[in-house]
Amino acid sequence: MNAGPLRPVLAIYTALFLLFLYGPMIVLAILSFQSQGGGPQFPIQDWSIYWYEHLLGLADTSRVSQLPVGGSLLRSLALAFMTTVVSVILGTMSAEAFRTRFKGAGPVFYLVILGMMVPGVLVGLGMALLSNVLDLERAWFSTAFVLHVVYTYPFAFLVMLAIFNRFDRSTEEASMSLGVSPGQTFRRVTFPILFPGVLSAALFSFTLSYDEFARTLFTAGSDLTLPLAIYGTFSVEIYPNLFAFGVLTTLFSFTLLVIYGLLMKRFTGVESRRYKGQEDAT
Amino acid sequence: MTSVTTEITPDERQASPAVVRQAKDRRRALFLLTPGVIWMSLFLLLPLCMVVYVSFWTQTTFAIEPTLTIASWKQFLSSPTYLSAIWTTVRIWAIVLTATLLVGYPVALFIGLFVKNKTLQTALLVACVIPFWTSFLIRVIAWRPMLGTEGVINTILLQLGMINEPLTFLLFSEFAVLVGMTQIYCVFMVGPITFMIGRIDPSVIEAARDLGASFGTIFWRIVLPLSLPGVIVGAIFVSVMVLGEFATAASLSGRKVNLLGNIIVSQVGSLKWAFAAVAGVVLTIIITAVITLALRVVDLRKEM
Repeated sequence: MNAGPLRPVLAIYTALFLLFLYGPMIVLAILSFQSQGGGPQFPIQDWSIYWYEHLLGLADTSRVSQLPVGGSLLRSLALAFMTTVVSVILGTMSAEAFRTRFKGAGPVFYLVILGMMVPGVLVGLGMALLSNVLDLERAWFSTAFVLHVVYTYPFAFLVMLAIFNRFDRSTEEASMSLGVSPGQTFRRVTFPILFPGVLSAALFSFTLSYDEFARTLFTAGSDLTLPLAIYGTFSVEIYPNLFAFGVLTTLFSFTLLVIYGLLMKRFTGVESRRYKGQEDAT
Repeated sequence: MTSVTTEITPDERQASPAVVRQAKDRRRALFLLTPGVIWMSLFLLLPLCMVVYVSFWTQTTFAIEPTLTIASWKQFLSSPTYLSAIWTTVRIWAIVLTATLLVGYPVALFIGLFVKNKTLQTALLVACVIPFWTSFLIRVIAWRPMLGTEGVINTILLQLGMINEPLTFLLFSEFAVLVGMTQIYCVFMVGPITFMIGRIDPSVIEAARDLGASFGTIFWRIVLPLSLPGVIVGAIFVSVMVLGEFATAASLSGRKVNLLGNIIVSQVGSLKWAFAAVAGVVLTIIITAVITLALRVVDLRKEM
């Protein structure tokens, strides 16, 4: 589009926008290499990895207490994993159901979507009240877990819905009528079409659950998850060990993203190779 | 002409394979949906009903009793603290919504309309989304070293000689909350708007230009109306998240900004469950009103 000076102006604006998005994180990453005596601000007195050692418990005792990352990290990973498995299964089942027209599709759709729309603090409060009344003990693997699924299942559902929308059922039927067994059909036809969706849904569910804390705050009981441990430091003075943690957890998430990308790429690569092989055979 | 249809009797029609298959499919769909619907009813609808129910319970010092009363409601609606929390929540929501739209729209316009290269377009969108792979709480806390009295912005302004002493209103203020929320949530505006602008048929714009329309006319008459569903979807996302917020306010306002979410958290902390429930119901009413209003303008299901 030719609109005179508008294009360069918007380009500069977008660059500034990206700076706005990334600036704080870049500053945080730089400050995580602050020396032991330095505070959570500039200037950097001396570059060091002291706060990383402090975070991992390798540093000598100091006046700053260590972040409670160990147990909470394991709990968060386990919780995210459980949430992912259940969300993907529920999401796939519901999306498969939506391939048929049925009465009440609208209300059911909105019921599922409601899970990602309702603020975490509200469902968290409701769940806490419910467990109070029913005299259930609150724990990350029960009350918090079911709420995490309530949150991530709609995302998995939407992703799978998008996949199924592009999935022509007649390809399955063609395979079956050509005498391919149902097992083979699933492995060679259905699964390859669904796999990218399943992978995306899993990635969504895992990262959302791993980072979720509004829903966990009232429902996790006494054992903290990782976001809760971070939230606990909000009320006290912050130190660069929190920044070091931020850098490490971001790297972890990026690793997940890269694994996702590689799996997707490898998978599509295998598909095209197989297709080529078939061409050669004819 | 009618002979073909009259040959099929109602009985035959019922037994036709298509109808049998349809019924089977419907049963299968029902079976597949049941677990999800049960899960959402038990763990989403039931807790929400519980919030409404408990808001009418009797609050004693450290416990609640299931004796129905409107005492909590009366106390809530006559307390200046709680009423000002409602006002703060609505005000912050309105400002952040406007800010995300104003900050995000030009970016969406650039990516969706001006960047013709598909790869670059995707790369820019990915660049907008990547910060989401950082923990939300870390992104909130990252504003502290930016805005503090010894923070980056004050340091730069001091070095440039634009100010003589550090600006104190930057951190632990409503300003900090607004900046933090705008940065965290504006991507939810950029995404849907870019999507809608990207879907505009280039030939429509081409035709308008051939007919002598200026860029201003094209924008107001074509681009803006066609991008409106994206704006609404983005507005719904931002609204729902901002209205349910409490962490940003807790971290960046220094307790100066109390949203309804903060009220809920502090009331639960002091075991005032009934008050927390009242705040929850008020929050639900506000959010429902906002979404209903937005859905009047656009059918979300059609856009997805």
